[in-house]
Amino acid sequence: MKYIIVSELVGTVGAEYIPADGINVEALLDGGFIKVAPKSSKQEKSED
Amino acid sequence: MATSTYLSNPVVTVNSVALTGFCQSAVLTRTITAADITSFGETARTYGATLEDSELTLTLYMTYGASEVYATLKSLVGTRTTVRVQPGSGVDSATNPGMILSGSYLESLPVMQASLGEISSIDITFRGGVYSEDTTNP
Repeated sequence: MKYIIVSELVGTVGAEYIPADGINVEALLDGGFIKVAPKSSKQEKSED
Repeated sequence: MATSTYLSNPVVTVNSVALTGFCQSAVLTRTITAADITSFGETARTYGATLEDSELTLTLYMTYGASEVYATLKSLVGTRTTVRVQPGSGVDSATNPGMILSGSYLESLPVMQASLGEISSIDITFRGGVYSEDTTNP
């Protein structure tokens, strides 16, 4: 699962969020700090 | 006179969220619980280390805005996470170590603490977890 930063309190907005060990990712999603990145399978295909 | 002092201005991070701008007090106490191992023949109590039982207590201004204090904490109650404090905003170093509690448990959260005419603030405590220090610049 890939996550994108939504809040600047977590990091650069729009950057990928890579959770460190022990981080409660569900709480970050619930609070609106990060979001699940959309699947980019179509983009990957078009790049090919 | 002290030759060196520290004007309190720590960096506070809870579950990856920077709460420094909402925090007015941070107390991280490292505790390794003692057990009495005194035996006959000794003339003074002797203690030995048992389990680590550290905790971090924060006083935070309570806000309910999007992606602020309540949003950070509401889903952490009853769970374990990683909390981090650092003396100042510089990079990690031996003189500015990142002090980390990993797997620390938030037992309770005052979801409303309001008094007439006062700015709402709350005290929360993260209990337990493994203490470590980060002194290397990432």
